[in-house]
Amino acid sequence: MMFNFLEKYYPLFLQGTAQTIIISLIGIAFGILLGFIVVMMRMSRLKVLSGIARVYIAIVRGTPAMIQVMLIYYTLAQFLDIPSIQFLGSTLDRVIPGSIALGINSGAYTAEIFRSGIISIPVGQTEAGISLGLSEQTTMKSIILPQAVRNILPALGNEFISLIKESSVLFYIGVQEVTAQALGIGGTLYNYVPPLIVAAVIYFILTFLLSQLMEFIEKKMGAKYAHIN
Amino acid sequence: MENIIEVKNLRKAYGENVVLEDISFTVGRSEKVVLVGPSGGGKSTLLRCLNRLEDDYSGSVLFEGASVSGAAKEELRKLRQKMGVVFQQFNLFPNMSVLENIMFAPVKLKIDNQIDAKKHGLELLDQVGLAEKADAYPQSLSGGQQQRVAIARALAMRPEVMLFDEPTSALDPEMVGEVLSVMEKLAKEGMTMIIVTHEMSFARDVADKVMFMDKGRIADVGTSEYIFHESTNPRTKEFLAKVMA
Repeated sequence: MMFNFLEKYYPLFLQGTAQTIIISLIGIAFGILLGFIVVMMRMSRLKVLSGIARVYIAIVRGTPAMIQVMLIYYTLAQFLDIPSIQFLGSTLDRVIPGSIALGINSGAYTAEIFRSGIISIPVGQTEAGISLGLSEQTTMKSIILPQAVRNILPALGNEFISLIKESSVLFYIGVQEVTAQALGIGGTLYNYVPPLIVAAVIYFILTFLLSQLMEFIEKKMGAKYAHIN
Repeated sequence: MENIIEVKNLRKAYGENVVLEDISFTVGRSEKVVLVGPSGGGKSTLLRCLNRLEDDYSGSVLFEGASVSGAAKEELRKLRQKMGVVFQQFNLFPNMSVLENIMFAPVKLKIDNQIDAKKHGLELLDQVGLAEKADAYPQSLSGGQQQRVAIARALAMRPEVMLFDEPTSALDPEMVGEVLSVMEKLAKEGMTMIIVTHEMSFARDVADKVMFMDKGRIADVGTSEYIFHESTNPRTKEFLAKVMA
């Protein structure tokens, strides 16, 4: 049987799956936080701030994720003294810089998603807010952002899905996520195809469950605005 | 009559394109000023200069003696609180119920506490005939209803003056009347109002002063009686002939 090896190696796949989930969660959380800060800078009237944000977005979008991850890993490893504690088959000094790198990569994309969400809200909403005497910050926080978040939820879900898939690049810095485990097992078996198929199925299940969850959340949030569109 | 608003030598241009020039006028307390004229004549831009939704103009705008045109950020926020604005597109907040739309600013800006704001909000909704819609969301209302909520929302800040920017232009014809009648009621209660509109019979009935604007200038100004019946200004007559036909 093609998948007989699972009997022996399934714990490694489980461990790799847990690792993939953890780095993706840290990555998306960090990416959303960073994306929010970057979009506020990007839309700021201060040229310096919007300039920095533009450069960051351009660099991240214009270079391969693999190179970003390796650059960040080797730089952070040099400056941060993270103890090499064992963690799900790899060590924290690889997992933490790796997750941060995923977040730095994702931040550029979430910033652009946030921006498209904010500019999709009619300017009249801002005008109504400031005409009531509200500050621009309050108008942004209580009127524009709640509407923008609802509009960008599908795009954010997609970003999370691609981040789960792209988290496989952490293989290059020795994080034992699903892809790394599959390749390791493939090496032992002298046959890469069956473990890679298992890895693909695991990614598919994760992203499928996530897309179902996003659909559920969208429906729930949409109920209140039932009459929109 | 005490002046609430004084505009002096206002001029605004986008590059070479001059959109407002040589604009000076005053608005007295409880006065109703209506701005009429062809599209592109500068009426809405002028109205928006009054609370500085349009910025970067020269000349001065005073509100109750305080400079709007020269106000710093915080001062400007305080002045805007006293100038209610009603927009052509209503601009209600779709993420809030009708009552929340009305209560939000007064509570946030500590004009009222939660309880008073709610009480005041319900009174205002009653005044505009929409008491039963307090918990509805804006999208479920007709255009006319939304605009009446928008008027209530502006009134919730207890403004000294109300600015109306073509309040009925986005409405289906059968809904124009309900909004105009709310505005008429407001006028009778003594509210100071500056109104940009194409509703000529409303202008004629309500206005204390009509300003005819054309090509960025106040081309003609006077009482409603003067503008609609006595003016010999050829551009005024031509415009009225077109719109009253």
